[in-house]
Amino acid sequence: MPRTIRRDEASWTVHTSKVRMRQRDPRPGFCRALTLAVASLFCAVGARAAGAPIPHGTLELVAENQWITAGRTIHVGLHFQLEKGWHVYWVNPGDSGEPPRVKWQLPAGVTAGEMEWPTPRRLGTATIVDFGYEDDVMLIVPLRAWAGVVAQGPGQGTAQLSAEVKVLVCREMCIPGKAQVSLTLPVKSQAPAPDAQTAALFAAARRAVPRPAPANWRISVADARDSFALAAKLGQGVPQAIFFPLEESQIKDAAPQQFVAVPGGFRLTLQKSDQLLKPIARLRGVLVLAGDRGYIIDVPVSKAVAARHEDGIEIGPAEPLKEVPLK
Amino acid sequence: MNRSTLYRTLVVLLLCAVPLLVAAAKVGDAAPEFTATASTGKTVRLADYRGKYVVLEWHNNGCPYVGKHYNSGNMQRLQKQWTSQGVVWFTIVSSAPGKQGYVTASEENDYLTKEHAAPTAALLDPTGEIGHLYDAKTSPQMVVINPQGVVIYSGAIDDKPTFDLQDVQGATNYVSLALEQAMAGKPVQTPSTRPYGCSVKYRD
Repeated sequence: MPRTIRRDEASWTVHTSKVRMRQRDPRPGFCRALTLAVASLFCAVGARAAGAPIPHGTLELVAENQWITAGRTIHVGLHFQLEKGWHVYWVNPGDSGEPPRVKWQLPAGVTAGEMEWPTPRRLGTATIVDFGYEDDVMLIVPLRAWAGVVAQGPGQGTAQLSAEVKVLVCREMCIPGKAQVSLTLPVKSQAPAPDAQTAALFAAARRAVPRPAPANWRISVADARDSFALAAKLGQGVPQAIFFPLEESQIKDAAPQQFVAVPGGFRLTLQKSDQLLKPIARLRGVLVLAGDRGYIIDVPVSKAVAARHEDGIEIGPAEPLKEVPLK
Repeated sequence: MNRSTLYRTLVVLLLCAVPLLVAAAKVGDAAPEFTATASTGKTVRLADYRGKYVVLEWHNNGCPYVGKHYNSGNMQRLQKQWTSQGVVWFTIVSSAPGKQGYVTASEENDYLTKEHAAPTAALLDPTGEIGHLYDAKTSPQMVVINPQGVVIYSGAIDDKPTFDLQDVQGATNYVSLALEQAMAGKPVQTPSTRPYGCSVKYRD
């Protein structure tokens, strides 16, 4: 029997607000003023729209371009600014939490592409580790305007881009929030011009997105019973490396990752998750070297190398990038 | 020294060498024994419930994911459904004093009354000892133990890892699935999942 759904206001802080670019939400209120004050503390870039409030922070939708053009792709960003100590989550949140979820409301002829997730950080305690972002993070989303894009929205020749975002914001405790953000852009026939006001924000966000691993790197991953042995030959030594798995339940998030520097590279031992009951064909994720620079890796997991590596005789062969048929 | 004696000696040596690396219970392992104080003041020993199915539910009354399942009535419904069929259900609070979800015995009793909750008992674990024995990461993490005392499920309560109340309906409940399959003499098809929710607020 379905019961009446009650909502505990104490644990559910749901804010809804609309934001247009360069136009303040006219709604007054102490809470809003407080949020704006907090937002302005974090606002490193010049004048932009005020954010929609989320628990312990703000969210704004910003565009890299001044208008949209049929047949072209523009980029927009979901820009989270959080109070000190609070965090939101990566696409794989780790041991607890959940990533922000976005539902787009776009005019006919405009479709949203895949979100670009910046390199996360390890957050949490000794026994529970999450992957996410503190302070300030922007998730970039490509929006493709197809040939048939129709100008809609309040003014003539404009398109309204809106997103409903559900986000879990945590510090010691977690608070779920919901925000509605939107932005109105003109639809023009000329190629979309960049917006100088958001250029620095997008440049910073792109630097934070992990890049493909350089072609000369050789990375192998061997299945070593209770762990994965990752061996990297980079052509140079590095002082440290941390791996962030893209998929949940593959490695133990809270387990220390044992790093061993070797000439021209390193080895990293990743404990397998207790939830991993079947062999995996590939290990995908982000490798972070010194300087917080993240690299995307997608490596087949080899079984054959495991025993040799465990014996410590050999690191393993250079990455055989051909997929090894497993199971 | 025959092979099995050698093996045993090695195991003993290993256990002596790494006393700190107590492996938490995994699916297929024997459920670690524990003794706990219930919110009623009674002492509860897991060993006394051998022969019955036992469900462990990690709880934190301030966690929105716990709120999802209590405010929707889902958790209470599961508790009533399974305890009426002879399953033992322990709600476990592993929050440390001063942390979110920590409750005194009387606060927990008030909560159970207010929420019309119906576990067999609510166990107070402020030291986090039971939580660590089962490697509980989140609330509401769920564990199912079979009558032989083996962990047959550990992980999420269902397959919708969100804080949305409306996601309760239509979700596949892994606890019910494990109990139904095990009671029918079938293997549990999904014995281990990523537990979702808030991190357990263990003492520092």
